Amino acid sequence: MAKLSANKVNLYYGDHHALKDVSLAMDHNTITAFIGPSGCGKSTFLRLFNRMNDLIPHVKIEGEIIVDGEDIYSKQVSVDLLRKNIGMVFQKPNPFPKSIFENVAYGLRVNGISDKNFIIERVETSLKQASLWEEVKDKLKKSAFELSGGQQQRLCIARALAIEPSVVLMDEPTSALDPLATHKIEELVFNLKEDYTIVIVTHNMQQAARVSDKTAFFYLGELIEYDDTNNIFTKPKEITTQNYITGRFG
Amino acid sequence: MTHLESELKKIKDSTLEMMHIVRTQLSKGKEALMTSNKELALEVMHNEKRVNGYELLIDNSCENVIACFSPVAIDLRFVLATLKINYHLERIGDNADGIARNVIDIKEQWNDELLRKLELVKSFEIADEMLGYVLDSYENEDTSMARKVFEKDKFIDHITDNALTTISEYIKANHSNVNQDLYLLLLHRKLERVGDLVKNIAEEIIFFVEAKVLKHKKGLEG
Amino acid sequence: MTTDKAHKILKRKKLSQSIAFSIFALITAVVVLILLGILYFIFVRGFPALSWKFLTTMPTDGMTDGGIYPAIIGTFCLIGGSMLFAFPIGVLSGIYLNEYLLDGKLKNFINMMTNNLAGVPSIVFGLFGMALFVNKLKFGDSILAGSLTLGLLALPVIIRTTEEALKSVDDAFRIASYALGASKLQTIRKVVLPIAFPNILTGLILSIGRVSGETAPILFTVAAYFLPKLPHSIYDQVMALPYHLYVICTSGTNIEASRKMAYGTALVLILIVLISNILAGIIRNYYHKKNKI
Repeated sequence: MAKLSANKVNLYYGDHHALKDVSLAMDHNTITAFIGPSGCGKSTFLRLFNRMNDLIPHVKIEGEIIVDGEDIYSKQVSVDLLRKNIGMVFQKPNPFPKSIFENVAYGLRVNGISDKNFIIERVETSLKQASLWEEVKDKLKKSAFELSGGQQQRLCIARALAIEPSVVLMDEPTSALDPLATHKIEELVFNLKEDYTIVIVTHNMQQAARVSDKTAFFYLGELIEYDDTNNIFTKPKEITTQNYITGRFG
Repeated sequence: MTHLESELKKIKDSTLEMMHIVRTQLSKGKEALMTSNKELALEVMHNEKRVNGYELLIDNSCENVIACFSPVAIDLRFVLATLKINYHLERIGDNADGIARNVIDIKEQWNDELLRKLELVKSFEIADEMLGYVLDSYENEDTSMARKVFEKDKFIDHITDNALTTISEYIKANHSNVNQDLYLLLLHRKLERVGDLVKNIAEEIIFFVEAKVLKHKKGLEG
Repeated sequence: MTTDKAHKILKRKKLSQSIAFSIFALITAVVVLILLGILYFIFVRGFPALSWKFLTTMPTDGMTDGGIYPAIIGTFCLIGGSMLFAFPIGVLSGIYLNEYLLDGKLKNFINMMTNNLAGVPSIVFGLFGMALFVNKLKFGDSILAGSLTLGLLALPVIIRTTEEALKSVDDAFRIASYALGASKLQTIRKVVLPIAFPNILTGLILSIGRVSGETAPILFTVAAYFLPKLPHSIYDQVMALPYHLYVICTSGTNIEASRKMAYGTALVLILIVLISNILAGIIRNYYHKKNKI
């Protein structure tokens, strides 16, 4: 059974038909990349899986989004629990104006965990998973804003991992970072594959090529092609995909 | 190890395996030839499919790495060199397969004395030794090993040149077994080709490790 | 274009630039000078009256001598009372308006009303306070009635600053919090409010400045003409600095004799406002530095 799947999903922002009949399935412990030009719907599609689109008014969603066999838009599903299971990392590093420790502990606290030792342990584990521990272990009490952009983004990844999600959604996680920080995040993402199912939106095609197992190409709200990343980048089936990845667009 | 490094390692491992298989193919071909063991020859012909399989695999992996990782500098040279090494290896495999086919085709018993005079076994041994050098060299990225190949190749060329004279003289004196004699000439030609291909491989290794292009530059060799 | 022509244009640009700059600087200087003038005027005349005795004793001799102690205490009571009432209500309304209410007609309507409320002349608040708190609810002239009236006056400012403070909190923080499974209430309490807090506090302190100087709203609801004792309960009347100032300047027993007292009172009032404004600045800077926003 696929970990995440979408079944004939249509999404409207008011009158704008932003996603058209999108169906796709993603497996456990894989990295899937969504690529496509700006406004193609890839980020919108990503945000369906933790119901972030709920926060935007006048959004209408049709079709099914299934996580672990359950339709997450059914009435019984608790959005807070869903988001605990499906972590998210954003385009701009957005740590809270709190200490490094409190940033990572935040998700645990809002999910009702108060056992101090457990929190300390989770914070350390998550920072290690995000390969940030060595850099911050002596300044956990310092403000998160003292970290560099790349470190902040890894902190945000640690923050997402702290509540032990099974899926991590990443919305252009490196677009605000320099090449070196980007490289670190990419390596990190690649290593996280062992424990998580990862979906990454990127408009850096090379990034999709480097980190992902599967790639989905979106254009004008449609899923044009979805295949092994190797195939997409060596022998795409659709001419639109080829034009996009070769930079011959429009 | 970074993601790219692990991908490159996979390619390298496959290529090394392919080198081993090709080397074994060649020595089994020699074995089959020396002992007129047709079953062993059939085995070599059968294994040729594995060599071809490796060629496709490595081709594909190199293509993917280029498409997905846009490697640069030594990584790029490694991939480009490996693509060509892969091609050369496949052709060495073809030659081993050709030798095995010859073993099947030849009906008569070898003339031992002629064989000894032709130094065919010696050619086989040198080719095997050369393959051993490039294997080591590719594995350890050590060009000094690769450089030994050029000198060795001259021996094979020399033996082949001599073989031509010897065989033509033998045929003049002895018309009874021309078919076998011509086969022997073909075998020598094949080994000479193998020697050239191994030499090409050595050039590719030096190119990727030292970023020097050795092809078509006489005098630098050795 | 010849270099000569280009040079000319450049010269003209420079000239107009410096003229505009001079005008702006001049106007600013005038404003600052007026302000400094007022401060100087009050300070020079009020300073001689200032003494520990002036701050801590009751007025005597028909308010021509003694101190302004009850008026200071009264003003602080009114500040405390009005803030106790206006701060929670204002902040909660601000939170509701910015965090819960979706953009739409209702929100526009409430915003319009809040703006109108802020523009209502303070004497109208005074009359309203008298009608509702003093007469209808029968609180009488009391700290309670006065505080509530002043609170109403401060309410729109607090709502506005709270709303603005919340609005200035980057949505990225809210979204990050939701994405971690936090509820809306948790997000507001643990992320949004701590970030907005310094700005909300600034609003509070600025409205304290405003409340402490208002005369009209307390005129009919709490202020005593002359009451040389301290209040015992929230139903007591008190003296208050602005009203005291008004009284001794206009309808005191001996206006000429209490002139010195009047300047002293004015200075104390100005100092309270000044100190609260400076305090607001310090608090804001402290939190900004702490949060590094």
